[in-house]
Amino acid sequence: MLASIGKWVEGLVKAVAILGGIVLSAIALMTAVSIAGRALIDFGLRPVPGDFELVEAGTAFVVTAFLPWCQLRRGHASVSILTDIFGNRANLVIDLLADLLLLIAAIVMTWRHFYGLLDKQAYGETTFILQFPLWWAYAFCMVGLITWVIAGLWSVIADIGLLKRNQIRVEDAGAIH
Amino acid sequence: MTNLEIGLWSFPVLLALIFVRVPIGLSMLIVGVLGNYFVRGSFTPILAQFKDLSFSTFSAYSLSIIPLFLLMGQFAALGGMSQSLFKAAATWLGHRKGGVAMAAVGACAGFGAICGSSLATAATMGQVALPELKRYGYSGALATGTLAAGGTLGILIPPSVILVIYAILAEQNIAKLFVAAFVPGILAAIGYMIAISIYVRLKPDSAGSRPRASYRERFAALMGVWPVLMVFFLVVGGIYFGWFTPTEAAAIGAVGTGVIALLNGGLTRKTFIEAILVTASATAMIFLIVFGANVYNAFLALSQLPQEAAAFVTAQGFNPWLVLFIILAFYMVFGCVMDSLSMILLTIPIFFPIVSALDFGLPPAEFGLWFGILVLIVVEVGLITPPVGMNLFIINNMAKGTSMLETYKGVLPFVISDVIRVVILTAFPVISLFVVRWLF
Repeated sequence: MLASIGKWVEGLVKAVAILGGIVLSAIALMTAVSIAGRALIDFGLRPVPGDFELVEAGTAFVVTAFLPWCQLRRGHASVSILTDIFGNRANLVIDLLADLLLLIAAIVMTWRHFYGLLDKQAYGETTFILQFPLWWAYAFCMVGLITWVIAGLWSVIADIGLLKRNQIRVEDAGAIH
Repeated sequence: MTNLEIGLWSFPVLLALIFVRVPIGLSMLIVGVLGNYFVRGSFTPILAQFKDLSFSTFSAYSLSIIPLFLLMGQFAALGGMSQSLFKAAATWLGHRKGGVAMAAVGACAGFGAICGSSLATAATMGQVALPELKRYGYSGALATGTLAAGGTLGILIPPSVILVIYAILAEQNIAKLFVAAFVPGILAAIGYMIAISIYVRLKPDSAGSRPRASYRERFAALMGVWPVLMVFFLVVGGIYFGWFTPTEAAAIGAVGTGVIALLNGGLTRKTFIEAILVTASATAMIFLIVFGANVYNAFLALSQLPQEAAAFVTAQGFNPWLVLFIILAFYMVFGCVMDSLSMILLTIPIFFPIVSALDFGLPPAEFGLWFGILVLIVVEVGLITPPVGMNLFIINNMAKGTSMLETYKGVLPFVISDVIRVVILTAFPVISLFVVRWLF
């Protein structure tokens, strides 16, 4: 039961991350096309209108879509020099507490972001050039943020399971930057 | 408690959280929110800010460059450019004493010109160069040390993710910073090559030799690196000459390296997904840190601590060079245990006002560039200093049969070379600044 939920969460998180990657690639392509249009303006071409607005709204979605994956893979930068000398059990407890704090952060950020969305909708705020309602961009980010909360919840459940069985923890690969 | 005291107390709490392995970005976020609560006496203002803070941080145009540069680095790794760079460098340098290791450094420098990340450079070049180094009889210590150090060129030579972050925090011009980083980056590569040549003379059995390549082979191999040159000139040249914004340049770079990888057959559905997932993890990590640092730094500004600290240091009449020395030494020490990006986000808002208030005989605009380059180098040294240099782990993990201790020993000459370079660049700001003065 629990294992199948874990698989499902991982599948969802991966799918959202890949979607984010596709949007990121699309942003890159759109920007390249826009620059080409700007360069060839004498030949009757033109840049993509509102290209930087699309970059901004798109990147916000990309980042929120990437957060759950980083969470699940324990990709967040942390300092383990001190905790390396602790025992396995102490480290499992730390994992649990850290993931719990991360879950709280995810919930608070998602909750407040949702209120931000409602504000933007109520005031009918639009972007400057393309004039699309800003709450649309906020709504796309909700997809990533809610997935993040789900991933965070699953991490906590998984941590409790590991702690119960006192399993040896495996260090996941850190992120590359 | 006064606001200033709350600000001061936040440091030990933050460090305690970080050292019990709470993710760094999350630690800053938590301490920032709590500190804000203690200063304002209520959670209401910070919760109101949080309505828009996620979106405004994640959608910031200046930060959108980061996922694009990371994606570009991943595509560059898939495009076979690391192989052609190494091949070209090896035909020109390989026959010298320690030449294959020097070639690895040269190839890292070339790859650094199209990749803004240290670990990605180390990992990509490691895959290509480690087997070759082994084939020509190089010791595990020298091979792993070379590649770990070479990886730092990924970030020292523009484009560079860390410089982008510094530019935003210290309100510096990214194009000028990239120009300023160029000569110190080349010096780094030369310094590493000198370190290798001294190392192999002290320990002659640590390196074998590679037959000399004919000039025909050399030029043929050089032809293979044209895609790298093209991407580099388009991306960095475009930023230098103001053809497009840094974000646009990164987008062009990602598309360019993506197309090259596609043509070389390196970009398939499977590798595309892998590239995305690595980019995803790194991007999310960076943005959580940026978000946390935003919240924490807003709280610090509220507590007046950075302003007071700057006023205090200036009023004491400390020798500016002593203050600079202490700050650089601090980065080196902390860099041994902490991630470089977090360190910059955490400290620049405090250190930058302090050092900007001191007189180093430079105009403020130039000072910001010079200080950025110095900080960039010292935090990068942290990536290759034992015990927790990330590059050391990555490379050591790839080199089967080389112990961590050997890698620690092998990287030592490179760390010495780094320290010498920091001293030279500190003493002679003109080395970092003359190209900027000439170009702008």
